[in-house]
Amino acid sequence: MEIGIQKRMLPHVPWALLFACLTVASIGIWNLASASRPPHSPVWTSQLVYLGVGLAAMTAVALVDYRFIQRAAVPIYLINIALLLALKVMGHRAKGAESWLVIGPFRMQPAEFMKLGMILMLAKFFHDDYRPNVTGYGFLRLIPPTLLAIVPIVIVLIEPELGTSLMMLFTAATMLVFARVRWWVVAVIGVGALVAALVIWNDWVREQSEPRATVVRHFMKKHQEDRISAWLDPTADLRGKNYHSIQSKIAVGSGGLSGKGWMKGTQTGLFFLPEQHTDFIFSVWAEEHGFTACLLLLVLYGAVFLTSLGVAFNARDRFGAFVAAGVAAMIFWQVFENIGMVTGLLPVTGITLPLMSYGGSSMVSVFLGIGLLVNISMRRHIF
Amino acid sequence: MTLRPTSPGRDLKVRYLYLGGAMLAGLVVLAVNLYRLQIIQGDEYLAKSQENFIKPIRVRADRGMIKDRRGEILADSRPSFDAFVTPAFCQRCVAEVLPRLATYLQWDEVQQARIEAQVKGTRGPARFQPISVRVDLTRDELDVLNAHPDELPGVDLVPVPHRNYRSGAQLAHVLGYMNEVTQDELDSLNSKGGGYALGDYAGRRGIERYFESRLRGQDGLRKEVVNARGESMRDDQGLIGGSDEVPPKPGKNVVLSIDSRLQAEAERVFPGVAGTVVALDVRTGFILAMMSRPSFDPNVLTGRVSAAQMTAMAKDPLQPMMFRSVAMHYSPGSTFKPITMLAALKSGQFNAHSFVNCTGGYRLGSRVWRCWADRGHGIRDSRQALQSSCDTFFYHVGDVLGLDPIAEMGKALGLGSPTGIGVVGEVPGIMPDVAYHDRATPGGYQKGMALNSAIGQGDDNVTPLQLTLAYAAIANGGTLYQPQLVRRIESVDGKVLEEFQPKVTRQIPIAAEHRALVVDALTAVVNEAGGTATRVRLKDILLAGKTGTAQVQRIGAVREKKEDMDYFERDHAWFAAFAPADDPEIAVVVLNEHAGHGGVESAPTAAAVVQKYFDLKKADASASVVPAVRPPPPVEGPPEKPTEKLPAPGDDAKRKLAAGQPPPDPGEVR
Repeated sequence: MEIGIQKRMLPHVPWALLFACLTVASIGIWNLASASRPPHSPVWTSQLVYLGVGLAAMTAVALVDYRFIQRAAVPIYLINIALLLALKVMGHRAKGAESWLVIGPFRMQPAEFMKLGMILMLAKFFHDDYRPNVTGYGFLRLIPPTLLAIVPIVIVLIEPELGTSLMMLFTAATMLVFARVRWWVVAVIGVGALVAALVIWNDWVREQSEPRATVVRHFMKKHQEDRISAWLDPTADLRGKNYHSIQSKIAVGSGGLSGKGWMKGTQTGLFFLPEQHTDFIFSVWAEEHGFTACLLLLVLYGAVFLTSLGVAFNARDRFGAFVAAGVAAMIFWQVFENIGMVTGLLPVTGITLPLMSYGGSSMVSVFLGIGLLVNISMRRHIF
Repeated sequence: MTLRPTSPGRDLKVRYLYLGGAMLAGLVVLAVNLYRLQIIQGDEYLAKSQENFIKPIRVRADRGMIKDRRGEILADSRPSFDAFVTPAFCQRCVAEVLPRLATYLQWDEVQQARIEAQVKGTRGPARFQPISVRVDLTRDELDVLNAHPDELPGVDLVPVPHRNYRSGAQLAHVLGYMNEVTQDELDSLNSKGGGYALGDYAGRRGIERYFESRLRGQDGLRKEVVNARGESMRDDQGLIGGSDEVPPKPGKNVVLSIDSRLQAEAERVFPGVAGTVVALDVRTGFILAMMSRPSFDPNVLTGRVSAAQMTAMAKDPLQPMMFRSVAMHYSPGSTFKPITMLAALKSGQFNAHSFVNCTGGYRLGSRVWRCWADRGHGIRDSRQALQSSCDTFFYHVGDVLGLDPIAEMGKALGLGSPTGIGVVGEVPGIMPDVAYHDRATPGGYQKGMALNSAIGQGDDNVTPLQLTLAYAAIANGGTLYQPQLVRRIESVDGKVLEEFQPKVTRQIPIAAEHRALVVDALTAVVNEAGGTATRVRLKDILLAGKTGTAQVQRIGAVREKKEDMDYFERDHAWFAAFAPADDPEIAVVVLNEHAGHGGVESAPTAAAVVQKYFDLKKADASASVVPAVRPPPPVEGPPEKPTEKLPAPGDDAKRKLAAGQPPPDPGEVR
């Protein structure tokens, strides 16, 4: 095991990535200061601490040679699954879901870290499973990695954390596709998506007499099916399950080109946005700073994605490449889903906006991922 | 860069392009959507966000006052507080807030369940509509609720002026009352531009209902910044911008023709448990007093009336909500006889010298119609017959004339059709004629019906107001007025906006000498020996009137004593009067339900009201700072009032009064 940093690694630290991430995180804290203005408690100060913890975690992960991490991928994966299962026993309920694990003074969301554990596991699998002479993954060869992904996804789903499990599903799918699957596998996935659409149409959209013949809806928890209903018909219930979606669209839309000004958002200031400092933080930014600032933020996220893929491109081995691509995908899907839901494009799922939303687990897990990227980038020439 | 077998192959390199391209495409989708929301629909959402936090608050217009003819306030508004719950802002409403309210306001279970259902039942934008949960909070309730604002999110205490009827039950039927508009009414009210909301009050019955649109005024609007919990915030940032207020337009005042002092006197002197007193100015048709007993307290009905109170009121056999002056009709009994007399004189078959020998009854065919005087009146001429209310004479008139000439005179004097008072609901009464009986009575018209109608029995039915107007028409020489309760509408600062002029329904051609004979006889009823109401002779006012004792039950061979009869079978006691007989100003009708003899049970009330009228007139004239009672404006209808040309009636009685003769024995009154 190799810990530490050598002088020759320094030129390969992905400074652009770090710069983009720190800029977004700084913007996030400034934005949080507005979102948590009095009479809210000023959580931006805590966020500052989480950022420090995140940077420390990033540094720590960057210093450990990632080949060690590669060897530890299986234990990390298993420990994360164990933590998730522990939630079932000693979890702390919040908003209808058991997602917090409280250990002494620390509260953490194991699902946030499970994402990374799954990425590492899949990367290790694809690294080990490399067959240069085979053109792509067929169905049988996809079974093991699919299982590796499905197990944590299902555990997170029954937690229930629909949003996070969806994010993990998309991230894993991205990694699978990245590993090059045969065209007909893509076709099967396409058919699957079509079936899913039909199921949603049958369970939610189609007019049915009671008892309703539903396929999956009756398996879902109330808050989950409500969110899908609300996404499908946002005007049904102004102040009910749909309230988030409408109010956040109003917040974003009313920002206009240049916004209402920092600390001057009325949706924010007058409490029309629940969870405005966590899942709906983007609407605060959009309301107060307008379209131009939103574009700036999208550009910064674009920079994060592209520099992450750059790390993957230059990675020394398949493990590094897959980890980097996985982390990039994880951040991308969260950004896409979160901004999509805030702007009414996608259903509301409990997903944080990386680097912007208030929350320690989210912040630390993103910086752990960035740490992996730095690690991979730094060590691209040493072996 | 060298590639080892385990190092990422070139196979991966092209996929970074795809992956990066897909991610950028995702960001472009987000950017396009943001463009749509913020740039294309930005203004729309900006407006929505303002709707969110700018709460338009209605500023209620002050309701106009109702005053009596001298400007004394009968109904006004006093400050009070109502409690409202806004479901959208009421967190844990059913679970916590409503139970707390139930404790503080001492709701019973039914009430709590009803409000719970109301709160649960609202959906969508209706959740932002405040629901009234208690009107007119008491001082204690207000203190308790004010002490716990944090426990009661979404509960607002709104200052709402509450209607105050100063004279309580006294004028209830005329003034009416107010209560909350129902959901069903809202649409129809607002289609006429009423601007009503749930929880608003609207006038019910009487003046309050009839003049609702003018009393109500127009609500104003104020804007306020609220947060998502509905709490008002200070507008530090100038969020509202521009003008934020539309001032309310106060309602107009309605000035009645009622004199509250005369009304109070009628209330004070009326002895019965049920009945009515109507007094009006015979020269204009303006009503001076209109009392109906039993009554109700409009303050109770306007506030929180309990279900038990409502039931008690609905079950009361005396029907306190019934406005007896206009909404019920009664047999006029002998008070109808002047009308029969006018018809008789008009026919030419009777004159002042016509007479009948009353032997206690009148035979028609095989049946004898009994006179109230069992032993008979002896010889009675027209004047004497009216003075002593001799039934036999009028049976004879009925026999000679038949029904139709009598009915014609009755109808000319307004009986059998609505008076057109408008403000309050009335029944038309019945003035039966031959066609009526052929249509409505099994077996059709029979001669005996004319005999019954001639003495105000049979199917004759009049409202007390109709009878007052008919007597007023006889008194003023033949002008039938449309009765009115309202003299004028004033602005809030007292400017006259609309002045109501006397309205003439019709002129009735009554020959001067016929009228003189009737007025003379009616004067004799009160002022000459042998009259049925001599006990109520007034010292210096020449009162003319007619008693009536209307049978409710068909009377058998033996007349029962009042005390032996069931209350609802006893006779109605009437007295219809006007004064002064030689220059009439006021007509008064008193009906004392199931009280017995009109001369005993009703005449004193009428006399007292007349006395009070002239006392007040004298007092007002001597006070005469400003003539509180405006002189009646020139009447367009009957400008050539024939009063001067008439032979002065009652001269005889006046002379006797002057000579200091003792009043004759009342004798048996009828």
